[in-house]
Amino acid sequence: MSPANSDHPARAANPGGGRGAIQVAAVSKAYGTTTVLAGLDLAVEAGTFVTLLGPSGCGKTTLLRLIAGFIEPSQGRITIDGRDMAGLPPQRRPIGMVFQNLALFPHFSVEENVAYGLRLRRVPADEQRRKVGTFLDLVGLGHLGGRRISQLSGGQKQRVALARSLVLEPSILLLDEPLSALDLQLRKQLQTALKEIQRELGTTFVFVTHDQEEATLMSDRIVVMSAGAIQQFGAPTQIYANPANLFVAKFIGELNEIPGRIGAVTADAVEIEGAGGRLALPAGALRGFAPQPGAACVIGLRPERIAILPQTGAADGCICLPGTVVERIALGPLLRFVIRCNDQRITAVRLAGAETGLPEPGAPCRIAFDPTDARIFAPLAAPAAASFGEKP
Amino acid sequence: MTETQAAPPAKALLLLPVLVLLGLFFISVFQLFSNGFSDDDGWSLRYFRQILSRGDYQVIFARTILSSLAVAILSVVLSYPIALLLWRRERWRNILLIVVLVPWLVSLIVRTYGWLVLLGPKGVINAMLAWTGIIEQPLPLMFNDLGIVVGLTHVLIPFAVLSILSSLLAIQSNLEEASGVLGASGWQTFRLIVLPLSLPGAFTALIVIYLASVGAIVTPIVLGGMSHQFVGSQIYQEVMYTFNLNKAAAWSICLLAVSFLSLLVLKAVERRLVGTVE
Repeated sequence: MSPANSDHPARAANPGGGRGAIQVAAVSKAYGTTTVLAGLDLAVEAGTFVTLLGPSGCGKTTLLRLIAGFIEPSQGRITIDGRDMAGLPPQRRPIGMVFQNLALFPHFSVEENVAYGLRLRRVPADEQRRKVGTFLDLVGLGHLGGRRISQLSGGQKQRVALARSLVLEPSILLLDEPLSALDLQLRKQLQTALKEIQRELGTTFVFVTHDQEEATLMSDRIVVMSAGAIQQFGAPTQIYANPANLFVAKFIGELNEIPGRIGAVTADAVEIEGAGGRLALPAGALRGFAPQPGAACVIGLRPERIAILPQTGAADGCICLPGTVVERIALGPLLRFVIRCNDQRITAVRLAGAETGLPEPGAPCRIAFDPTDARIFAPLAAPAAASFGEKP
Repeated sequence: MTETQAAPPAKALLLLPVLVLLGLFFISVFQLFSNGFSDDDGWSLRYFRQILSRGDYQVIFARTILSSLAVAILSVVLSYPIALLLWRRERWRNILLIVVLVPWLVSLIVRTYGWLVLLGPKGVINAMLAWTGIIEQPLPLMFNDLGIVVGLTHVLIPFAVLSILSSLLAIQSNLEEASGVLGASGWQTFRLIVLPLSLPGAFTALIVIYLASVGAIVTPIVLGGMSHQFVGSQIYQEVMYTFNLNKAAAWSICLLAVSFLSLLVLKAVERRLVGTVE
């Protein structure tokens, strides 16, 4: 596959760049008394790769099906490029869709599958052939057009499903966990391929997944969802560095949690009382809630922000807590430490190769972190905690 | 060998019932063939010559084959909409399925006599038509090919519903949605996706019903009468009334050949028609 070549004919064929902006305004969806989505607002810019990310049952697939038009919102409005989509069936919306099970037509060949939409639009036969060829080349299947669907591997089927949707040059391509059935190797390959094709065509991609790594790798923007609501919408790096709440922080990337209580609060500092004593953190560390003295809270720290220091010595400006190394695991490029610190398991990572002076399992040590790297969250509500398999 | 497995002699013992059944089967087939190719005086092709040359017998063959084809096609055509309905109405599927299968709870003979009551010269249908003044003479609805086809179709139609339904249920759940997103109308989706994918089931039904109908005995006897014999009812007559077992065996071998040749033809047609569907 070589979609990196920007002269690719599929690019010229597609005027989709610049189209495909989605506005979701106050959209709710309820089945009887069960609310699946509650008052969602979302603005997707044209030409971006957006991922709807969340645990199963969070409403991400429902949102996708609302945009597709398989279901209508109970309340609110969805517009695409300024056009209200209310009442329009899927075939009248400028969208393509790749289904979780791909939904390829088993009685058609690869070419016939890709040509299906063109055939319905009564595109002349020679133009059909040309376009099918172009888009099969785009997904790297140019040589397999005559194959039967049952003769393809899992990854090849994904590519056929992709070509079948893209050949109609939709402004928006909706992808409902299309990679979830593949093994890791193939999955990684297709993640890269999908991202490259999206960049090549400039089509808006809305991708549903429950895999945070996949989301981080592919997306320009991530919509983190939980319990029928959007928890955060932003670029992957932004979400990782500044998660809106504890749910987002735990769902994207790894997080160390130190429970505590809010102590004295001043204009620019918050004191947290916990097992480790009193920790003074900048007020900027507070994420998404107003601190009430005495209220329970959680200090969140990313593993790579935690330094491991010997028991004694200077630690300029850092907060230090004593602990004992429990585990030390080499994970390819990373060296992973688990440190017991006030009955709390703290994970820290270092790049492999820089291990000189780092303690062995069983050795006492100190963990240290810059107060500006810490984030203070409100504890998870019960339903959100359940999605991590925790008791509140 | 693990402990749960029996010792070789004990395992061989398990084969015994099957061997007995197979033995009986082959003995009876052998008996059938040796009967068919002989008469009272020894080996002979007399009955085959008779069966194949007599005009009234050729009519019986033609009737059996053509009526069965009509029954098979009629059954598939009539049951396709029923199968579609059952496929669509997921909530009602089980109840509707029971409605389709309930005739099977009644014996074949009772059901066939039921048709006698409906189709007879003084039956319900003729009586109604006469009462409303649409006809003066009763219509010949039975003791002819029409009666046989109606009766057999009624008996065999549940096979077609089940077979077509099973191939509809095998269609991946969101192929229709996918077809819709790609721009197809409901009718286009049916014609281009659902119908072709359900053809294997329809064709299986066609073949099964055709073969079942070719071998029918009771329905042709009751609804066809003496004047409209099927091969099956002819065999019954040779055995029960004329006691000519040799001739009955020759008839049976001919019926077997007809079924077999029909199957070859139908399979060839199926390959051409639905060969592309896995």
